[in-house]
Amino acid sequence: MPVQKIRVRFRMNGQEHEQEIPSNITLLELIRDELGLTGTKEGCEIGECGACTVLLDGKPVYACLILAPKVDGREVITIEGIGEEGKLHPLQEAFLTHGAVQCGFCTPGMLLSAKALLDKNSHPSREEIEEAISGNLCRCTGYLQIVNAIEAIRSGEKE
Amino acid sequence: MTMVVKGKVGESIPRVDALDKVLGKARFAADLKMEGLLYMKVLRSDRPHARIKDIRTEKAEQMPGVVRIFTHKDIPGKNRTGIINKDHPVLADEKVRFIGDAIALAVAHTEKQAEQAIGEIRVEYEDLPPIFDPQEALRSATLIHEKGNLLYERDITKGDVEQGFAESDIVIQRTYLTSMVEHTYLEPDAGVAWIDDEGRITVCASTQNPHYDHHEIVTSLALDPSQVRSIQATTGGGFGSKLDVTVQCFLALAVYYLRRPVRLVYTREEAYLATAKRHPLIMKYRTGVHRDGRLMAMDIDILGDTGAYGSYGIAVAGRAAVHATGPYRVPNVLVRSRMAYTNHPFCGAMRGFGVPQVAFAHESQMDILAEELGMDPFEIRLLNAFDRGSETATGQILKESVGMRECLRRVRKQRDEMQKVSAIPGKLVGMGIGAMWYGIGNTGVKNPSSACAELDHEGRFTLYTGAADIGQGSSTVLSQIAASEMGIGIEDIRLIRGDTALTPDAGATSASRQTYISGNAVREATGNLRKSVLAEASRFLEIPPQELTMEDGLVKSMKDGEILTTLEEVTARSYSEGKQLRAEGFFDPPTTNLNPETGQGIPYATYAFACHVADVQVDPNTGEVDVLRVVAAHDVGKAVNPSNVVGQIASGVAMGTGFALMEEFVPGQTRSMRQYLIPTVKDVPVVIPIIVEDPEPTGPFGAKGVGEPALIPTAPAILNALAQALGERIYHLPASLERVLKACRREGSS
Ligand code: FES
Ligand code: FES
Repeated sequence: MPVQKIRVRFRMNGQEHEQEIPSNITLLELIRDELGLTGTKEGCEIGECGACTVLLDGKPVYACLILAPKVDGREVITIEGIGEEGKLHPLQEAFLTHGAVQCGFCTPGMLLSAKALLDKNSHPSREEIEEAISGNLCRCTGYLQIVNAIEAIRSGEKE
Repeated sequence: MTMVVKGKVGESIPRVDALDKVLGKARFAADLKMEGLLYMKVLRSDRPHARIKDIRTEKAEQMPGVVRIFTHKDIPGKNRTGIINKDHPVLADEKVRFIGDAIALAVAHTEKQAEQAIGEIRVEYEDLPPIFDPQEALRSATLIHEKGNLLYERDITKGDVEQGFAESDIVIQRTYLTSMVEHTYLEPDAGVAWIDDEGRITVCASTQNPHYDHHEIVTSLALDPSQVRSIQATTGGGFGSKLDVTVQCFLALAVYYLRRPVRLVYTREEAYLATAKRHPLIMKYRTGVHRDGRLMAMDIDILGDTGAYGSYGIAVAGRAAVHATGPYRVPNVLVRSRMAYTNHPFCGAMRGFGVPQVAFAHESQMDILAEELGMDPFEIRLLNAFDRGSETATGQILKESVGMRECLRRVRKQRDEMQKVSAIPGKLVGMGIGAMWYGIGNTGVKNPSSACAELDHEGRFTLYTGAADIGQGSSTVLSQIAASEMGIGIEDIRLIRGDTALTPDAGATSASRQTYISGNAVREATGNLRKSVLAEASRFLEIPPQELTMEDGLVKSMKDGEILTTLEEVTARSYSEGKQLRAEGFFDPPTTNLNPETGQGIPYATYAFACHVADVQVDPNTGEVDVLRVVAAHDVGKAVNPSNVVGQIASGVAMGTGFALMEEFVPGQTRSMRQYLIPTVKDVPVVIPIIVEDPEPTGPFGAKGVGEPALIPTAPAILNALAQALGERIYHLPASLERVLKACRREGSS
């Protein structure tokens, strides 16, 4: 059976996109395979690991669980779109200086979950930070330096 | 060159590879795209033990998009791999030995087509009786491998154990069990292979040891080593599992025939099904103690289930045996440690190589003895702990860098200064200690590393190392060692790592060996280069080399610090005379083979030591355990990058918490991340890291290692805390809800 194609319009990392896509692919496949943005990772495909986290209208979602046609008329932000041109997002900076990156496979998803939190709550408590990243697994860091990095932004600490 | 140099040994600088990772630009194997890329899928056995009578691929070959199907018949070289013993076929030939054994490969234009082709391959089997228990395997007449079901036995004998028990006032005997654990690195195994510009079969994969991969590819394809190139892709964690070849030989085989780029990315389910696990061990401990608290004798029997293939089973059995006593002086020791084949998924290396398992046993024994003696658990450990001059069970005298007591003291002090955890009504609380020692590098065998340092004609420094950074931070640590030795800044160091065409062999990223062993190789290479530079400068300046020093990228006078010339100038002049500035470094830790009968010898050149204390809170009605905090002291010799060390400690505590309470891989039942839970941010305790630096004279700048030690004391500490909270001990890891509830009921009924 030939796969149906569907035309979708959406904003991706600040740019308007309009294109034909297979109707049965996931948002993760759209991002990685159709648009070639490989910063978003695939760790499980079943909504357990959080490596594929992106922002859909500002909310963190597991891109592996969302059907791509759902993005029609909406805005998607991936790791490639969180900093400004030539400048790191403060979270990226904080992850660097606080040693929050080890293998780096969870990092993009982790950063987007953290960004979603800080966008709506600029002074989260440690518990709120933990809540916000509780859907993102990291096998390397034990989370300590990740939470520290996010907390450093909250308190406006510059390093 | 910059004037203020940053990144010397001892500084917490950001990792050298982290910028690309926060930008989402780091390319993992699954992110690599190539013109005309083909896709591979693997057909795997659905039987635990069966003879293969026939593999029929005709139908699959006719499927749309299929380029070719491969079976064992296509392998031109040797169809056996394995890091220590060669028992693992690339593709199953006579038999399959576990559910998940690879049988055939399909290559097609899309992943889906390859998947569909796999579904059309027919395998005719003749089932054989499967064995799932290592004790049964040793009795059974059914052979999983021709040479028998016993993979390996390591014995250690010291003193006279019966005499030791006779002189003991208290003797206790217990049996401890652990479960299979899945590494669950976040990046599923993946690789891409192609023919490079020089016509080499090139495999770029997620791996912990590109030079070993190279060797296996060369052997399986019967090629000359120069015809193959192996590159380590950015690797999303490994924890031991990516020491085995996974996708590498499959991809190389396809490219050998097709001469086109091919990619293979495991799904999480495939990574669970087909890759190594942590060995479950059955550990019988008999320990005797004098009434004053001194350990007198230990008789230990360890039996492990290595599953279908050897992988690192021999190393795990050996390391478990050497470390079985724990970090304590015991005059009389008898250890028997064995590994048996079964038809389970194969078990291999996992962070700690058997030591996390034996630490659970020896630390439980210590607490039971302390209780019997009415001694404080810190006191009994301090009394028996290794110190300078102590002799281990293998007869090695520990001469330097023995920070065990310091770790115990620092943890105790920290703990005394902190507020006691008070129980909320309805909950039970407990505190427990875990201590450990860990030999750096492989056990009693050669395990060298080499490195190369170079200055080009413009004075730019390049470090070449085969050491795979899988997230643990070796690229940063090795760069810092080079920066310190060379007297230049970290930003002036270009690092080329993990590419057999460019870098010398550094051995595996395993056994916590890269900082100590590759660190020494890097230091030597850089030191040699520095010497050449000073010799050159001495020639131009006409000043004896011993009066020159190098600092901040400048050649200075030793006497008054006067700047005499720059690195750029020296290199420019050398190169103008046709002289290259390039130096090699090599290090192999001084060890000896263990005596085959008595196990006596010097298995490691140096050891790391650690102690954790855990506070837990238990809900006796649900069995839920909350690990509130862990104080973790680690003697690392010297923290090359303290922030990295803290990262490793927090990492180890998290993985140790999973090992203690949550993680159990049940073959046949655990299929995906849905059935296998690893700690989330909410499951990990507050971690209070303490870095102890008792310098190791043979280490680079005094450094040892911390990667694996970080994990080892956590589970023992948690289990000892649980025993205190419940008044009942758990002897089987993980201490899952059910096991905790059962213990609560036992306590309630007694
Ligand atoms: S890949 Fe989407 S949650 Fe794991
Ligand atoms: S840094 Fe490796 S999974 Fe988070």
